[in-house]
Amino acid sequence: MSGRRVSNPIGTRVEQLAQSLAERIVPLIVDSIDIDAILDKVDINKIVERVDIEAVVERVDIDKIVGDIDIEKIVERIDIQKIIERVDINAIVDEIDIDALVEHTELGSIIARSTTGVVTEILDVIRAQGVGLDDFIWRWGNRLIGRGRRIRRWPEGPPLLVAPKATTP
Amino acid sequence: MTTTVPMPAPEMTVGRQGHYAGAVSRLVAFAVDVGASWGLYTLGVELLNVAIRLFSGHNFTLTNHQLAGFITLTLWLFFYFTYQWSVSGKTLGMAIFGIQVVTKQGASIRTTQAARRTIGLAITLFLTLGIGFIGIVYQKERRALDDLIAGTAVVYDWDARAARLRWIARKDGPATHSGGSQPS
Repeated sequence: MSGRRVSNPIGTRVEQLAQSLAERIVPLIVDSIDIDAILDKVDINKIVERVDIEAVVERVDIDKIVGDIDIEKIVERIDIQKIIERVDINAIVDEIDIDALVEHTELGSIIARSTTGVVTEILDVIRAQGVGLDDFIWRWGNRLIGRGRRIRRWPEGPPLLVAPKATTP
Repeated sequence: MTTTVPMPAPEMTVGRQGHYAGAVSRLVAFAVDVGASWGLYTLGVELLNVAIRLFSGHNFTLTNHQLAGFITLTLWLFFYFTYQWSVSGKTLGMAIFGIQVVTKQGASIRTTQAARRTIGLAITLFLTLGIGFIGIVYQKERRALDDLIAGTAVVYDWDARAARLRWIARKDGPATHSGGSQPS
């Protein structure tokens, strides 16, 4: 028999029909599937339990990954100055309990050793007591003449040294 | 050294640098200055007497010459206060009590202001018999008459925060700093 191939018109039509049927049916099937319902039935924990994480990690060559990273290039791209500018140093310092720090660390004894002499200690006490008595005289002196509340709004110091008090309406 | 006197509560002292100084600190500092200036004057006069006696052989005593003694004392007191205020804004007594003379705005004072303040101090003491000091308690900026004359004010300038840290750091400090002597 000769090898001449003869086209089968019936076969071609069936193929076309199957193709067009598939194009219409598949979207209908996909649309009808509730993916969420299926996912709800999937027990992720069970799947994760079956994964041998250690084996996966063992296969990862961390040294190679780290070696491939060009740290210097990354550091060069970081704008340290910009980061520093965004850090509120004052807020950080305000959060520090200096008293507790001094009380519970060696810092206290260092300060004491470096700055405290007998004279300094005497002066500290004298000055502190003086400030206490100053306030006492100031408050009671003005309270006696009925200015107890008004003096609270008065400036605490010269404008170049102390920020003015916020005035209340 | 053991400090038995408790410090006032930190809110009373810490952060007071630059605030107007009160009556007790100022008047006690002034008393210290009166004592110091008088002591130095007496010492100076004695040295002068000895020097004159050594070099001239005459027995000279300044206190026997009342007018000369008065003028010398006046000039000495003027120099004592004016020089110290113009150099650092504080006298010996003020340095001990941690207070300083500044301008009304809070800047360092000039020599002319220091001189005016010294003259103002004499007026406050001798012409008003001390009544001019009442402004320290009743004036808005706690300025006495001598401050008003010189355009100055007196502020605390000691570092109370450092003092408090020193106080806490002392070996026996934490045991005694439970609130301090809080005036009512």
